Amino acid sequence: MSVEAAPSLRPQRGALTRFVSAYGQEVVIACAIVLLFAVVSAINPRFLAPNNLNTIVSGNAYIAVAAIGMAMVIITGHIDVSVGALIGVLATISGTIAVSGAPVWLAWVVPIFVGMGVNAIVGALIAYGRIPSIVVTLGMLSILRGGLVSVTGGAWINNLPPEFLLAQQRLLGVPVPVWFMIILTIGAFLWMRYTAFGRSLYAIGGNAEAARAAGIPIERRIVQVFMIHGAFAGLATILFATQLKIIQSTVPPNLELTIITAAVIGGVSILGGTGTVIGSTLAAILFSAIGSALIFINVSAYWLRAVIGALILVTVLADMLRRNREMQGAGR
Amino acid sequence: MLRTTLAVVTALTLSTSLVQAQSAWTGGDELPTSALACDGTAATPVAKAYDGGVPTNPPDRKGKEITVVDVPKLIGIGYFDATSKGIADAAKEMGNMKATTDGPTEANIDDQITVIDNYITQGVDGILFAANDPVAISPVLKKALGAGINVVGYDANSEPDARQWFVNQAEFNGIAKAMIDSLAAEAGEDAPFAIVTSTFTTPNQARWIAEMAAYAAACHPNLKWLETVEAQEDNILSFNQANTLINKYGDELKGILGMTSVATPASADAVTQAGKCGQIAVVGLATPNAMKPYVDAGCVKSVVLWNPVDLGYAAAYVLRAAADGTLQPGATSVEAGKLGPLQVINGSEILLGAPFIFTKDNIGDFDF
Amino acid sequence: MTASRFLRHETILAVLVVIALIVLGAQSDKFFTLDNLLNQGRLMTEVGLIAIVMTFVIITGGIDLSVGSILGLSAILLGVFWKNLGLPLELAIFLALCVGTLAGFVNGIIITRFRFPPLIATLGTLALYRGMAEGISQARSVRGYPDWFYILGQGQSFGIPTQLWLLVFVAIVAAIILGTTTWGRATYAIGSNETAARFSGLRVDWVKIAIYSASGFAAALAAVIFVSRVSTTRSDMGTGIELDAITAVVLGGTSIFGGKGTIVGTMLGLILIQALKNGLSLAGVKSDGTIVLIGAVLILTILVSNVIYRGGTR
Repeated sequence: MSVEAAPSLRPQRGALTRFVSAYGQEVVIACAIVLLFAVVSAINPRFLAPNNLNTIVSGNAYIAVAAIGMAMVIITGHIDVSVGALIGVLATISGTIAVSGAPVWLAWVVPIFVGMGVNAIVGALIAYGRIPSIVVTLGMLSILRGGLVSVTGGAWINNLPPEFLLAQQRLLGVPVPVWFMIILTIGAFLWMRYTAFGRSLYAIGGNAEAARAAGIPIERRIVQVFMIHGAFAGLATILFATQLKIIQSTVPPNLELTIITAAVIGGVSILGGTGTVIGSTLAAILFSAIGSALIFINVSAYWLRAVIGALILVTVLADMLRRNREMQGAGR
Repeated sequence: MLRTTLAVVTALTLSTSLVQAQSAWTGGDELPTSALACDGTAATPVAKAYDGGVPTNPPDRKGKEITVVDVPKLIGIGYFDATSKGIADAAKEMGNMKATTDGPTEANIDDQITVIDNYITQGVDGILFAANDPVAISPVLKKALGAGINVVGYDANSEPDARQWFVNQAEFNGIAKAMIDSLAAEAGEDAPFAIVTSTFTTPNQARWIAEMAAYAAACHPNLKWLETVEAQEDNILSFNQANTLINKYGDELKGILGMTSVATPASADAVTQAGKCGQIAVVGLATPNAMKPYVDAGCVKSVVLWNPVDLGYAAAYVLRAAADGTLQPGATSVEAGKLGPLQVINGSEILLGAPFIFTKDNIGDFDF
Repeated sequence: MTASRFLRHETILAVLVVIALIVLGAQSDKFFTLDNLLNQGRLMTEVGLIAIVMTFVIITGGIDLSVGSILGLSAILLGVFWKNLGLPLELAIFLALCVGTLAGFVNGIIITRFRFPPLIATLGTLALYRGMAEGISQARSVRGYPDWFYILGQGQSFGIPTQLWLLVFVAIVAAIILGTTTWGRATYAIGSNETAARFSGLRVDWVKIAIYSASGFAAALAAVIFVSRVSTTRSDMGTGIELDAITAVVLGGTSIFGGKGTIVGTMLGLILIQALKNGLSLAGVKSDGTIVLIGAVLILTILVSNVIYRGGTR
């Protein structure tokens, strides 16, 4: 995955056009969601009932939260295939603390710090050990997955104290996971757009050498990004582990792929340098909505994966065509 | 070019979908069904000759210490944690069996085969297995038999001639009857209901769904099957799928059948969180510890399962008997420690018993 | 250039393989038996075939995540062509190979014509092809093949597992192509600097399409062998095999950024992983412990190699 230095000459046009060209992928996905809701609710109006909207939006909230951290990692030009296994490990740690009688806030907070700690090692191996991120995280995937089973022996955690189950709570009638998702997405978006630190991530992903020349401490930044990503994995774990009264010691198969897919469909270029976390959150909601829609319109779930695959290709294609047109419009 | 390709693929896909035979309910398999009588009178067992395999020139293991490996579908889930506990209990009780559990960390056919293959090379005396795929596992099990190793299955079978005995937790039609009878009793004879399963490819689940369809058609014809949804072995997905069913059907939905030990508690949680306890009956296969909160709260009335600890325990005893030569083809029963004599059915299967139904009154007595 | 590259990572890896073999051999007397070694060759063939072509893909700076799904799709179609459409098994095998190649070709088209980054393109087709396998199979397995078919996956030829001949043959052909032909040089050139390769007159798109098609073909070939080895088809076949193949390739010293890598390295990487899996199991380590060790070995090997030679990454 070579780093492509794409000069971003944006044509000067109206505010709306500028908005669409800056947030093209996000707009495409938002339109896809609206279209999906319009079509499915025309077939079965119950699709739009508040309860179902809650299910759709909160169902994939943990994926959306994890995808925020993943988006940052990808924007800097790296990747992490171990995040699914990490969430599994963190969930078990969280549950173990919760049933041990320690205060529940500890069970919520410790995974965040453990996630940061594990990913600090990952980031250091990448930045200072100069190992490609896919290699480090492939190795980490094995280590975490095998380690989890070795330690737990496969036992589930039952008897979780009711006050631990944060994701089942509601605040102002809205499920807690939805609050998490909205606040974290907007916060991360603003942080990445308006702080020097946040903007440096785009610089590193866009052109690492230029970023270095501009005085950005690249190695330290990479470690920090991975630690932030670990913190988001910890936050996602809270939602994942407190949704039900049981914690499994296995995570959903291919969880890391789902998270990466949400980030890249959301418009985060795998070449680094572009994309926002709004897109990744919208993509996570879209996945959830498609899963729900297939049930509502009685399409065999056998085809679910094929639909998602086609969707990945179509949304990215739409984005590429849009960019091409834009470049032609700019006289290139 | 791309368009032509897509057209060809689509045409091919549609045509093959139509060629396939379909079970009455989605998610069932196409094998013949044998529904039990509605009043539960056991069908007269059809005598069947031994159809299991025989190990080639096994050494005399009678009374000697044997090393045994237990290879479940995957390690890392509560159910197989319980079977492995049963095996360890039995080994401890017998004193002349060394048992370890090892297996893939995902329910993956290839990894399971590789694990078994390595233990054959290592030279164990016995292999206990729960197959991820009945056919795919058979070549490697036949290799084990060929190496003189005693092979006994439990939970999920292979082809009969690839192992000596299979400890059947409960017959498929027995589970199907227990599930459908419980559903009809709790939700009503004409209740519309939906099924949450793991995947349509999981052999045991597919068999149960097919048997349930057959039994319901014969004994509870007014039950209305709505649909079957897949939720893998993923508890959040199971929860989301159950929620979507509740949202889709609203008050029409009267029952949910959970086909896995993951789907059932997640469905119960969805019903609880939707405030629909008492309106939607959740019946399913699950382990008691996971279901206690919902049963104690009165949201779930009956949980169907065999005792997986007993299943592992029985499998270990059957393997010991096969290694000792006390369990020979043609036998009609086998002694399984504290479980007493177990009956041989279908030629080479050993029946653990009728499925057990956990209710509020007895669920506190179990811890697994 | 070739010699110095060969001396770098592959040397370390070869030393590591030798050490691993000695240590593992000392743990269990069952390890160094001919039966066991040949059997391990049988078990690593499917990953091996995919990893060999994956080496080409990664050297061009690309990646192919869809191979596991192509394997599943080809396996399912092999069964469907034979059982449902009633074609002779030979023809069904041929068509399954064609479908796999076509699936790889489609990847190549998406990547070159539509300029998709390979990771996204194949992430999409990973879901798409697996979804098609699931949709087409509708959860039905096809079993009961004629006996001759099992020779490929379960039988032996000249005392050696049949598929191992195939693996060795493919490895040698691939090593020759990559090391000595213009195709090989084009592969490296694209990975080192695609723009320069384009300007120097290489038909970059055409080479890439051919490589992704070959990747699809290798996955389909692995599918045929897999079906023959386990005697059934399932739509979940090959799930996760892409990560195993990529692990072998990068452990073998191929740079994920492209431009660097050898078939010898990939084969050494494969052998090391398989030896660890098998040897540790024979030494009494459970499979969860084994995958922890493989992960650690992957990271440490690349780390040591980087520390010693101070190069390789950008």
